[in-house]
Amino acid sequence: MIYLKKTEKLEKGGVCLKKTSLSAVISTFILCFVFYMLFTFAFNLEEILVGAVVSLIVAVFTAKFFIHDNPFYLFSTSRFGSLLRYVLLIFPKELLKANIDVAKRALNPSLPVKPGIVKVPSDLKSEYALSMLANSITLTPGTITMDIAEEDGKNYYYIHWIDVATTNSEKAGETIKGTLEKGIGGIWK
Amino acid sequence: MRIIVDIFLIFGCFFAFAGTVGIIRMPDSFCRMQSSTNIATLGTLGAVLGGAVYSFWSGNIGTGVKVLVIGMFIVLTNPIAGHAICKAAYKYGIRPDKKFVCDDYGRDIADGK
Amino acid sequence: MIELIYAGVFYILLSIVLIYRVAKGPNVVDRAVASDSIDIMTSVALILFSLYSGRGIYLDIALIIALLGFIGTVLISRYLEGRL
Repeated sequence: MIYLKKTEKLEKGGVCLKKTSLSAVISTFILCFVFYMLFTFAFNLEEILVGAVVSLIVAVFTAKFFIHDNPFYLFSTSRFGSLLRYVLLIFPKELLKANIDVAKRALNPSLPVKPGIVKVPSDLKSEYALSMLANSITLTPGTITMDIAEEDGKNYYYIHWIDVATTNSEKAGETIKGTLEKGIGGIWK
Repeated sequence: MRIIVDIFLIFGCFFAFAGTVGIIRMPDSFCRMQSSTNIATLGTLGAVLGGAVYSFWSGNIGTGVKVLVIGMFIVLTNPIAGHAICKAAYKYGIRPDKKFVCDDYGRDIADGK
Repeated sequence: MIELIYAGVFYILLSIVLIYRVAKGPNVVDRAVASDSIDIMTSVALILFSLYSGRGIYLDIALIIALLGFIGTVLISRYLEGRL
């Protein structure tokens, strides 16, 4: 899910959209251009020119949805290294473990499921970190994030869990997102 | 090299089969959603990685990169759809036949409907 | 590499099995989830067939099928939530 903080200025469920700044446009342009080149994979002059024009138009209109923070936050070696370590090492291990678990449950003749919705606290603060953790939890089979609520400075997830082992929220959080949260905490604040 | 591609393909086929059996057999709607995530992650990634290895090995790099980008796109967009439809199902009023073990969401936010 | 075709046929057979859930499913959410899974598996089968036959055009069709499946699922859920 995509999590945006609510503001008091725009009532009726409005979310905070920043004004478009030049650095946000530049970083969105780099993302769009890289994906254009990966899709076409042709290095003529015309292709590069058309790609640049299209990416610039897209970047001008969508930068305010993408960038809510310092736009060049990820352009440092340690943060990018920890992002690569999370995507290539930590997350696939959890994915494999959870997949084998759910596949065993589905193929078992007695079908051992115990579904329930638990409430789990989180220590992360920024919007990017909360969205990334929610998407990672949803992507591991067995758990789906339903909502994020903010109560007096702390953020809580509501998670549908296929096998409720404990209803205590701290212990359930440790079981569901223990290593994932440590990995994300090294990237975003 | 052919054996590596075969291993990836069999891996993907096994998880897709497990997810399909889960969707057919699971007792209520929310559990069926959990099994559909099983198809979209490893059932897709196994076949896509096998295809990419085959394509890199036979020499056309552009096709392999495109296959990897399509796989990444599927894996990135599936959790958003799953989250949206799970919340919509709860707000629409769908409950399982057997009661939930614990239901914090209904207690806190969406009382009743 | 005939295995690519075998795996693609296996994915298509699995999606034919899923049509049972689309036809029977007790409520609308089951049908939406099952058809989303059918979309994803058709896209994967198209990727495998494109690699076997060596034509690049099927990759674009696979991308468009995946995109339309995602947009359709999000649209159905927005409608059910009453915000459309």
